[in-house]
Amino acid sequence: MSSGAAAGATPVMDRLISRTVLKHQPLSVHFDLTYRCNERCVHCYLDHDDHGELTTSECLSVMEELARAGTLFLTFSGGEIFLRPDLYEILAAARRLHFDVSLKTNALLVTEERAAQLREFGVRRVQISVYSDIPEVHDAITKVPGSLQRTLAAIPLLLEQGLQVKLACPLMRENLLAYRGVMALAERIGVPYVLDLTITPMMDGNEGPLAHRIPVSSLLPVMQDPLLHACKPQPSAEAATAMKEYPAAVGSAVSSGMESAAYEDLPCSAGHNSCYISPYGDVYPCVQLPQAAGNLRRERFSDIWYHAPQLERLRGIRESQLPVCSRCRIRSYCERCPGLALMEGGDLLGAYERACELAEQKARLAGVFEPISALHKERAASAPQKVLENEIAFFVTSSSSD
Amino acid sequence: MTTKVSACWQKNPALAWREIDEVTVIISPTDSVMHELNDTGSFLWKNIDGRRSAAELAELLAESYEVAPEIALIDTQALLEEMSSRKLVMPVPATGGELR
Repeated sequence: MSSGAAAGATPVMDRLISRTVLKHQPLSVHFDLTYRCNERCVHCYLDHDDHGELTTSECLSVMEELARAGTLFLTFSGGEIFLRPDLYEILAAARRLHFDVSLKTNALLVTEERAAQLREFGVRRVQISVYSDIPEVHDAITKVPGSLQRTLAAIPLLLEQGLQVKLACPLMRENLLAYRGVMALAERIGVPYVLDLTITPMMDGNEGPLAHRIPVSSLLPVMQDPLLHACKPQPSAEAATAMKEYPAAVGSAVSSGMESAAYEDLPCSAGHNSCYISPYGDVYPCVQLPQAAGNLRRERFSDIWYHAPQLERLRGIRESQLPVCSRCRIRSYCERCPGLALMEGGDLLGAYERACELAEQKARLAGVFEPISALHKERAASAPQKVLENEIAFFVTSSSSD
Repeated sequence: MTTKVSACWQKNPALAWREIDEVTVIISPTDSVMHELNDTGSFLWKNIDGRRSAAELAELLAESYEVAPEIALIDTQALLEEMSSRKLVMPVPATGGELR
């Protein structure tokens, strides 16, 4: 990783995204196999009880449907995926169906033998959560003593098998000052990393995890840190080399593609060419947008994907038509998420406090004079009106009581 | 071209791939390189099954695209060579059987 710039969408990826966005094909699917977990991270948004996970054969049927629908990128996550005893059966099917497979895990259960099996089943990437390079900090977040040591021990096992490993570090109050340690750790190991400022409410709307969120004012030192490359993932050495070796239409390194021009006026890829499937078979536009569009135990994937009203509505949204945000002059500094807009602001199309505060802070750092989001401007403008209305109400009340 | 036209070809089983909108996109998990096959490449890719030789693939190509058989064979061999150099396809070993 080190100092490489973020990988832009490659020409092949760009074309792929354009085609799939245009035709609404589910190119990328995030499939949580379980919400059960062997850690109890303080900021987690999941209910870890098993409420009836899809069986092995149900998972396999879902994957067959996804392959038919054109899904290429399949990410298995959880919960902790290694708690599924049928994980390898699922991975074997994923390989048979020619998916490009990534995993998200805490790696506590990775052994030499399991790492070799992942390789055998064609897994390409493994993303591992690491909250700090200091055991006390990491373990206090996961609530599992010794977890950092076990997680770090797994990384060389995966690398030895030729798997791509990426560290993911969600930043919260408990580990705010640890991010430089995680960056240094990633550098030492020679893997990319991603720092994530997103702490979301639980999927049922419970706002408990938000207590761990870092106030925007405290993020200033992080946002000003020249060592930080805008919190974006860096390309692996292999991918960077591959990009140089295979220019243009011949072949290029796989990137996240989120920089693609095809997403230009779209809030994000959710519902356009990506979606999320829960362990219970619910299909959502995204893990951060908990509006179930249907359930795979009752309906076929293609029926949900192409006909669910929730997805059709989402596909109609354009950033340039958002009622408040489209008027915002610091829009280019904003990373508004439709799911968080819904969960935190109550409106899929609306603005929400956290995004506005972050955008203002970023714009200020970039030298924008008095950056105020459209939401805050609107509030400021309506404040004197409210005071006036209150005063009139008081006057009327006083007059009528005389 | 070093491989005989009678040799059968198979896809590299380690690859991830999908045909999307008549274009085949292939990802090699070992180096994370994406490859994109055009219409003709995608046609060949679909028909490479470990049992067909370059000559048989060329025959299919000639039929579907209405090109002269000798042109189809040259194109097929060139495409197979190109894909082979990128480790997307490989000749089936003479002893037979598709690699797993």
